Amino acid sequence: MASTACFIIVGRNDIPIYEAEVGSAAKREDAAQLHQFILHAALDVVQDLAWTTSAMFLKSVDRFNDLVVSVYVTAGHTRLMLLHDSRNEDGIKSFFQEVHELYIKILLNPLYLPGSRITSTHFDTKVRALARKYL
Amino acid sequence: MEEYPEELRTPPVSLVALFGYSELQASITKHLHSQQPPINALAFPDLSHISLLLAHDDQISQASSFRDPLSVSDSSPPVPSRCGGILKRDWLLKHRTKVPALVAAFFPSHHIFGDPNQWLQVCSDLDSLKSVIRPKNIKLVVVVVQSSPHEELSEDRLVALRKRAELDSKYVLFFNSSIDSELSVSLSRIASAFAELALAYYKEEGRRIKSRVERRSSNSPDLNVRYCFKVAVYAEFRRDWGEALKFYEDAYHSLHEMIGASTRLPAIQRLVEIKTIAEQLHFKISTLLLHGGKLIEAVTWFHQHKASYEKVVGSTEFIFLHWDWMSRQFLVFAELLETSSATVQSFSSLNQETADISLTEFEFYPAYYFQLACHYLKDKKCALELLLSTSETAQEIDSCSESITPSLYVGQFAQLCETREEKGESLTLHSITDEEYTRFTISEAKRFQDSFEIIAWLKRSYESFTNLKSRRMAALCAFEVAREYFDLADPNNAKFFFNIAASLYRQEGWVTLLWEVLGYLRECSRNLGALKDFVELSLEMVTLPVTSYDDSGNSRNKNYGPGGPATFSRRESIHREIFTLVCREAELLSSTGGSGFKLATDSPLHLEIDLVSPLRPVLLASVAFHEQIIKPHAMCSITISLLSHLPIPVEIDHLEVQFNQSTCNFVIRNSQRPLWASSSNTVESGSQVENEPSLVLVPNNWLRLTYAINSEQSGKLECLSVLAKLGPLFTISSRAESPAAMEDLSLWKHENRVESLPTKDPVLAVFGQKATQVDEPEPQVDVSLGASGPALVGEDFTMPIVVTSKGHAVYNGELKINLVDVGGGGLFSPRETEPFSLESHHVEICGIDGAEGNDESESETGNIKKIQQSFGLVSVPDLKEGESWTCKLEIKWHRPKPVMLFVSLGYLPHGSEANTQKVHIHKSLQIEGKMPLLISNRFMLPYRRDHLLLNRIKPAPDSEDMSSLPLNEKSVLVVSAKNCSEIALKLVSMSIKFDDEQGETSCLIQQGGDSPSSANLAPGEEFKKVFTVIPTTRTSKLGLGSVHLKWRRQGGNITEACVSTKHKLPEVNVEASPLVMSLNCPPYAILGEPFTCAVRICNQTQLLQEAKFAMADAQSFVLSGSHSNTVSVLPKSEHVLSYKLVPLTCGEQQLPKITLTSVRYSAEFQPSAVASSVFVFPSAPHAEKANSAAK
Repeated sequence: MASTACFIIVGRNDIPIYEAEVGSAAKREDAAQLHQFILHAALDVVQDLAWTTSAMFLKSVDRFNDLVVSVYVTAGHTRLMLLHDSRNEDGIKSFFQEVHELYIKILLNPLYLPGSRITSTHFDTKVRALARKYL
Repeated sequence: MEEYPEELRTPPVSLVALFGYSELQASITKHLHSQQPPINALAFPDLSHISLLLAHDDQISQASSFRDPLSVSDSSPPVPSRCGGILKRDWLLKHRTKVPALVAAFFPSHHIFGDPNQWLQVCSDLDSLKSVIRPKNIKLVVVVVQSSPHEELSEDRLVALRKRAELDSKYVLFFNSSIDSELSVSLSRIASAFAELALAYYKEEGRRIKSRVERRSSNSPDLNVRYCFKVAVYAEFRRDWGEALKFYEDAYHSLHEMIGASTRLPAIQRLVEIKTIAEQLHFKISTLLLHGGKLIEAVTWFHQHKASYEKVVGSTEFIFLHWDWMSRQFLVFAELLETSSATVQSFSSLNQETADISLTEFEFYPAYYFQLACHYLKDKKCALELLLSTSETAQEIDSCSESITPSLYVGQFAQLCETREEKGESLTLHSITDEEYTRFTISEAKRFQDSFEIIAWLKRSYESFTNLKSRRMAALCAFEVAREYFDLADPNNAKFFFNIAASLYRQEGWVTLLWEVLGYLRECSRNLGALKDFVELSLEMVTLPVTSYDDSGNSRNKNYGPGGPATFSRRESIHREIFTLVCREAELLSSTGGSGFKLATDSPLHLEIDLVSPLRPVLLASVAFHEQIIKPHAMCSITISLLSHLPIPVEIDHLEVQFNQSTCNFVIRNSQRPLWASSSNTVESGSQVENEPSLVLVPNNWLRLTYAINSEQSGKLECLSVLAKLGPLFTISSRAESPAAMEDLSLWKHENRVESLPTKDPVLAVFGQKATQVDEPEPQVDVSLGASGPALVGEDFTMPIVVTSKGHAVYNGELKINLVDVGGGGLFSPRETEPFSLESHHVEICGIDGAEGNDESESETGNIKKIQQSFGLVSVPDLKEGESWTCKLEIKWHRPKPVMLFVSLGYLPHGSEANTQKVHIHKSLQIEGKMPLLISNRFMLPYRRDHLLLNRIKPAPDSEDMSSLPLNEKSVLVVSAKNCSEIALKLVSMSIKFDDEQGETSCLIQQGGDSPSSANLAPGEEFKKVFTVIPTTRTSKLGLGSVHLKWRRQGGNITEACVSTKHKLPEVNVEASPLVMSLNCPPYAILGEPFTCAVRICNQTQLLQEAKFAMADAQSFVLSGSHSNTVSVLPKSEHVLSYKLVPLTCGEQQLPKITLTSVRYSAEFQPSAVASSVFVFPSAPHAEKANSAAK
């Protein structure tokens, strides 16, 4: 499992709707801030790159020192972004695919307004479990 | 990049040395420079200088003063073997500037071919030259300078020269400078020979050292690196970039293997040396790759370089050295990218597809590397600060430490010692310990202001990201710049850059990031002493949708920004801080030291919140009127709903609700709070005051307040803002919003929270408006339009308008009159242009007549009276209650048309008070405009006289409907006028008037008969009048003028003016008839009694007319006379055909019909049937007898 991993879901209107620190390293809030800054900056690359390929998994789009940003863009232009220091690309891909599935389940909830913050604890637990499994 | 020596930054250039003939050297040097590739040349006037050039290290005086270690070559004593280095610092420079690839000796030809003494001198010179250059393998060229091309050459001497110099014949050159053409040939010959030999020299040298590498003659990795480096440099001299790259990489890799293996130097310095050399090798490799256009390889290489040295930290205590080095790697690579970007830009897009997947787009931009260089430099700064703060010894170090300078080898440092020997002062370099070295580096590092570097690079990065339209990357850079400024205690600059970042994060709703930035901004404004900004920023932070309760316990972690962690509890604590600051009681004013602000009692703090303000979640005011239209003076309910996202409930002292009609403003007072003496200036004293038991804003709950207000003024009543007063000095004014048009709070929109409606009534919450319309007061004045039936075209139709006051007095009354076409097409249409309708309007207002005669004088002076064709404005005099006023409106129709008349009266009911509003009454009436009379006319020719009118027989194509009249004959015109309206009319007169002079001369019109000139016409009745017309001029178009009718309505008063109606008579064709046939016949006949009937054919022309006639038999008559014949009628004479007729039946009988044909005109004509009939009596009438008897 990666020592550092920050996972964030950005809605189509560029607003983060879910964020989680899923690294095994000791939880540091300051790192969360820095990680969010990096992820936010990486959106610039994603917005250009997303239209150049039909694949949803954009692999690594940005690098900040040894931290790499991997992005997965859904058909609805929701972006799943992961900041990580591991090189396990297959694991990241599987992680994204499974989280995408979870996200679709959230969308199917008639009480969930698309684009609003995901507060489901079930979702959070599942995402963390997936992170342990794949990253 | 600038800190690297020049020889490292530029590609090497071959070097040659020229001896002798200093007058030629300038042109040769210039020529060599212009070669491709260029050759640098060292010029010496004679061979004695050779010792200067190639002097051995020992030969040079050691006493030369120590200068810059880079420029001085061999001043230091030979370094003891135990502290040798990898690369000599000056080796590259030496080969660039001192060691030539070849030496060219110039000899004049007469020295060789002339005097033997001189020849001996040449030989000895050559020998000494050879002895110097031979050990170094430097090539030799001998140039014989001829003074003229035809000089005699001795073959023996030449051979001897070659032998002496041990040269191939092609390297003994002849140089002839006397002729220009020869000069250029000689120059190019020299250049090509030089280039060839230089290449050979560098190739041999390279091969020599390469063989050492390949043989692995020494196990020392130091030497291996050095040899590889040298081979690469020689390859660069030869411009063999591929080999240079290969050997630089070899050197780099062997160097990397040395980490941990080498034990030559103390640990720290060892690593510093390796890293410094690695840096130089990396620089060379990157430069070569980038100049070769291999951008992707260069970037990949950089990543490898970074990855392989990232973990080589060395001593953790002095980790700042590592960060400094890392930062420099990024900076240098960024600068390299930037300088080569012009040539490489196109490659990046080209190679994007095939690129290594792990490379991202930004990694091709220098900005990315600048940013990371800053990141490492910041790490260095932190590490250094930490070191300085923890270690006491480090603090004591000041800049004037021992004279430690870079030593002979790259990446090494040595101490400079003054030694006093018998020769005098001299300087020696001693190796130093790690402790000394670190003291030196710390003192060096202290001298640098890293922050300014960081800011400068980050700004570059920010600008270039902005140019790339990567706003988010730019925002990150701006944030970093601002943080650096913040650390430098420069709040003004910090604020500027923080604001850039904050605006983007605010727009995109990244709450955590916004929290962080706002925390910094808040501190900036605190440092600047800007209280308003401080309060605004704090409130914005407090109302951010941060709902995390996760408080990690350690309250003030160093890694947080000044805003602290983004948690709910932090929001609450900031909230408390702010509200204790701004809502203090008066007695606490003195003790405000805690926050660093001083709030004077007379400086109230007022915040304005509009629709785009980030402070909208602090106080959101939604105002809804319960009704869309309200009556004046009637009470109307209004609901004011307030919402706040502050984390803690807030109690409001009082609320002021402000409207566009300031009289409606009212105050809601919290009865639990004491009354503040200072009242606001927006609400007048004596206005409505409501009391509420408590005014508490609970987070995320609407505070709904419903009150009744009334408005006296008609028009729009709109709620502008709601002003909340919290404490004696703090007010927040929030722009009122309609529930129907209210936008969600951008940041709270996507939060998971219970949404409630601003009003209890869901209809009002969806459609409620913050504005309502106040009606006008009910008019108590009557306006009546007294119309009497339809109007007639041409008359001045008068329309009495009566204004009667029924409860309101009328002041400043104004009557507006408007005529509108019912059909909607306007009152005139350009298509119906007819010659006589000169007026463009078919219906127009002619005048408005004030009723009372005594008013007229005033109305002309004071009152407004403005009339246009379809619009009128007339002022109404002031009327008291119960009075009335009348005016008459005169409207004239030019064309039958229905018309709508709109009359509106506006008046002030209460004198001339400025604030009262006008009351309006509107009335309308449709009026039909009708044609009164229908006028027609008819021509009658003379009785029983038939004219041969040629035009009538053969009508001209364009005169179809035109009637023809014979010239100089008396014709009859009957004009009839029929009343086609429903109103009885009185016809006053009818006459025909010519329109122009010509009509009068060419025609004579008389009133025929003695018919009455005036008559009463009931509806449908017709009036006829007979005129005689005698045309006197022959013309095809004779205007007969027009009929003028004067009429008026029957029963109206006699004084009323008659209306004159014109009717234009049609034009007639007047022509002279060549033949006239007149029938002479008795007025009546008696049954059985014969009578004579004569047909006269009159020839009116100067020509002989032949006329054929035919008489048809009639049943009622017995006829005697010729039935048909052709007669010739002489000019200006007549022929009479006489018949005897006996009537056989009684009554109106048709005479036998005669048909006349004019041969000349081949025209046939008959008398009309009416004219050729006669009444037959059964016997002689008695009346005649009685009549005659009476006579």
